[in-house]
Amino acid sequence: MPDTGQDRPTLGDSLAARGISRRSLLKYAGYLAGLMALPPMASRAMAEALAGAGRQSVIWLSFQECTGCVESLTRSFSPTIEDMIFNLISLDYSETLMAASGTAAEEARLAAMEANKGKFILVVDGSVSTRDDGIYSTNAGKTNLAVLKETAAEAAAVISVGTCAAFGGIPAARPNPTGAVPVSEIVTDKPVVNISGCPPIPDAIAGTIAYFITFGKLPELDHLNRPRAFFGDSIHDRCYRRPYYDKGLFAKSFDDEGARNGWCLYEVGCKGPVTYNACATLKWNGGVSFPIQSGHGCLGCSEPGFWDQGGFYKPLSASVMGNNAVLGGAAAAGLVAGAASVAMARRRRAAAMAAASKPGETK
Amino acid sequence: MTVMGMSLLDFARGPAINTAMAVFVLGVLWRLVSLLGLPRSVDRSRPKAGVPSAPMAALAGIWRHMGTPRGFGPMSMFQVFNGWIFHVGLAVIVFGFAQHMLFLKGLFGLSWPVLPTSVITLAAYVTLASLVAALVRRMTHPVLRLLSTGNDYVSWLVTVLPVVTGLLAVSHLGARYETLLALHILSIALLLVWFPFGKLMHAFLVFITRAETGMTYARRGVKT
Amino acid sequence: MNAPAPIDVKAATRAFLAQTEEHMNAYLEACVHCGQCSEACHFHKASGDPRHTPAYKLFPIAKAQRAQKWPLKWLGLAPAITEKDLAEWEELIFDTCTMCGRCTEVCPMAIDIASIVGQARKAFVAAGLGPADLLQAAENSRDHGSPLGLTPEKLVDRVEWLADDDEVDMPLDKERAEVLLTVSSIEAMKYPQSLSAMAKILNHAGVDWTFSTTGYEATNFGYLSGKADIAKVMIQRILDAAEKTGAKTVVIPECGHAYGVLRWGAANIIGRPLPFEVLHITEYMAKLKRAGKLKLKPYDTPMTYHDPCQISRRGGATEDARYLLDGFATHFTEMAPTGAHNWCCGGGGGVQAMSRAAPLRHKVFQIKIDQVAATGTDTLVSACANCRLTFDESKTALHWEGKLESIVEIIADHLVED
Repeated sequence: MPDTGQDRPTLGDSLAARGISRRSLLKYAGYLAGLMALPPMASRAMAEALAGAGRQSVIWLSFQECTGCVESLTRSFSPTIEDMIFNLISLDYSETLMAASGTAAEEARLAAMEANKGKFILVVDGSVSTRDDGIYSTNAGKTNLAVLKETAAEAAAVISVGTCAAFGGIPAARPNPTGAVPVSEIVTDKPVVNISGCPPIPDAIAGTIAYFITFGKLPELDHLNRPRAFFGDSIHDRCYRRPYYDKGLFAKSFDDEGARNGWCLYEVGCKGPVTYNACATLKWNGGVSFPIQSGHGCLGCSEPGFWDQGGFYKPLSASVMGNNAVLGGAAAAGLVAGAASVAMARRRRAAAMAAASKPGETK
Repeated sequence: MTVMGMSLLDFARGPAINTAMAVFVLGVLWRLVSLLGLPRSVDRSRPKAGVPSAPMAALAGIWRHMGTPRGFGPMSMFQVFNGWIFHVGLAVIVFGFAQHMLFLKGLFGLSWPVLPTSVITLAAYVTLASLVAALVRRMTHPVLRLLSTGNDYVSWLVTVLPVVTGLLAVSHLGARYETLLALHILSIALLLVWFPFGKLMHAFLVFITRAETGMTYARRGVKT
Repeated sequence: MNAPAPIDVKAATRAFLAQTEEHMNAYLEACVHCGQCSEACHFHKASGDPRHTPAYKLFPIAKAQRAQKWPLKWLGLAPAITEKDLAEWEELIFDTCTMCGRCTEVCPMAIDIASIVGQARKAFVAAGLGPADLLQAAENSRDHGSPLGLTPEKLVDRVEWLADDDEVDMPLDKERAEVLLTVSSIEAMKYPQSLSAMAKILNHAGVDWTFSTTGYEATNFGYLSGKADIAKVMIQRILDAAEKTGAKTVVIPECGHAYGVLRWGAANIIGRPLPFEVLHITEYMAKLKRAGKLKLKPYDTPMTYHDPCQISRRGGATEDARYLLDGFATHFTEMAPTGAHNWCCGGGGGVQAMSRAAPLRHKVFQIKIDQVAATGTDTLVSACANCRLTFDESKTALHWEGKLESIVEIIADHLVED
């Protein structure tokens, strides 16, 4: 049974009970604050707040998704992060992680909503099917659409985790058979934070939640409602291969000398210049690597519509739309217009010559 | 920033540039066909003995007018040099920059070696300075002021905008990269749309007029 | 032409449109308004007036063509030419262009401005514009055989007098001849010795030649004044005379535009290739010299050579004059610029016949004075009577001390008779 929050032990108590020292909480808070470029004093404040706070109630809804986002979080390389996150929050409802299913799970959700009305954070992964009233994705006979509307109505804030929830993602890719839309299209009356990525970086999820707990408000967001702290810079700006771009040294294929030399992957389709995420700085698997470091260009997974950007291996500057028909039509029209112009000019010329040669017309 | 429900960059890379290319193709073909289809006079005069063949004469004409002939006498060389600078500069930028080559490769399937970005950036600054100098001269020199029409100024503007927006995009100045990139592509679209209808068309016409003058003069045995 | 006639814009527009042609339209559309041509133009150099920029002179004809161009016409974006345009440009098309082609040399688009001005003049004349004296000269050519009153009778008179005076055989209206020699009325009336000089040279070389009283006038003021009908008449006269005598070669005297029109324009104006070769007198003398038929004493006077535009820059005969001077003129200094790049005399293209253009012509002569001074010589030799007359008038006006000579006359004076 979910508790009411107020009677719960504080986060500090529960950590202590689990043998996690105050020192490591401070360290973790410092880490999160550092990620989010908060002032030095903030890490102490954050640690204080976290230690003193009741665990934040979180309801996690999964819609049209692949569970990659949850995997990203739970299979984090560093168990500390996972632990911390799950210690920070009281995950009162999560279909993926909870034992209950179907009608029993539904009851759990309603109970959690009731207990923390207006205070819980709603986390969503996956996009929302809207076509035919959303019947393409249901749980216990309820469509995702209905569940989202119902749950979001009582939430303090909504966090869309992953590109599907944030921007529609793969379910929304052309031709989008289920009419998939991002959460922000359904929930329009309260803040929706987008932590995009396919999957998103776990630290970004944790950092955002920690910030909310500490300061009672959402962090600064960019124009796509993503926390600036994690999505403020482009991959390209922070890429360690950037000097090769500036020198014009590009790998032409994945097995040429340029690729072996670690040159820029722009020509093999890297979308780093137009992708905003923290991969190049935080990296993955505990800072081991990120796609570009592993020799593959950025797919641009944290950006809207990344699936439909004309091909992962097509350079950013290559044109996007197929246009041969249009160009052929334009060429034909140009030829016709030219021929018509010529005909008119010839007729004018003949008329002018005839008129000029009439007696009395010339001087 | 969104246009027609898509991001500005998608709009620029999609409908905008594609429409502009269609207008360009249509316009250029219209201009060329409407010119080359006009009646031609046959030159019945007897050519001088031992003059080069017509194709050679045409090539010689194209080459000959690359600059002022040696021994021509006093000429202000500013325009000749400045003209060369921004024309070569534009060519270096258009064909030497990897991103541009990739765009052209996407269109025509041809690729070629490219220059380092630092060289391109330098070329862009030089070109920009050269274009500004050309504008200043056009606005201050009495002869150029008299000759200049709206066409000249619009043509200047649509030529300089891609250089400026390109520099901004490369140096990530003023806005997010994809916005700058979108503006850059939109400025190219503007250039392409204006191209056939303004004096930029000289890029095609120059070969026609120089070749024809070359052939006329060669027929007369003129050596310059 | 005395009372100011209304300007017929329609007729001018028609005349412009009648010239619609790939060649012409390409030139008109290609101009990038760079203004390089201004510095090549002797009129602009002399006056400093931006309106004298060659490219600017093309504006009315370009405007007339553009006004017809679809879709600009439909969109109302291209205004038609107006009376004001024509009135304003009359001076620019006639008085301030000698059609010397120097502007084309520096044009990055290689636009043949000279030929377009020649064509544009037709439209101005059709509109009732054009300098009265130039048009009169054209009408004189048609009605009296020559712009300067050299009627056939007068020609006979002149030739007989010169033959007598200079003791030279000058055949007139020989039934058959290899070479038909033509005259420029400028020479006949102002520099008659030129005629006997040509006769001396041809006789010296043993050429079978003749003058003709039916086709003698080489100058073509019909062409220069934009009167196409008269241009054709003048060409036809020489063509008939040459065909009648069976001449294989028609020799043009020292006159640049006469050469330009007959050598390069005539076949196109009459619409068929000419049945004879047209050579300028310098080309013909060079031919004689190459054949060893010209024996000359050295000419020791320090001198420089002025290239007539239509002979050198637009005629391709630059080297022939040099070949003649080589080994003959012992103190020949080239001026700078020279050859195909030489500055124009300022009087070609009929400008010499326009009295109102005289003040500007005199200013232009200063360029030539400076060129001659830079060579350190004071004798200016030319191969065009029109250049010579232009220089002569300006020389008086500017009180220049130098001497003007004709290449034909100095050669005639230095023949070695066996």
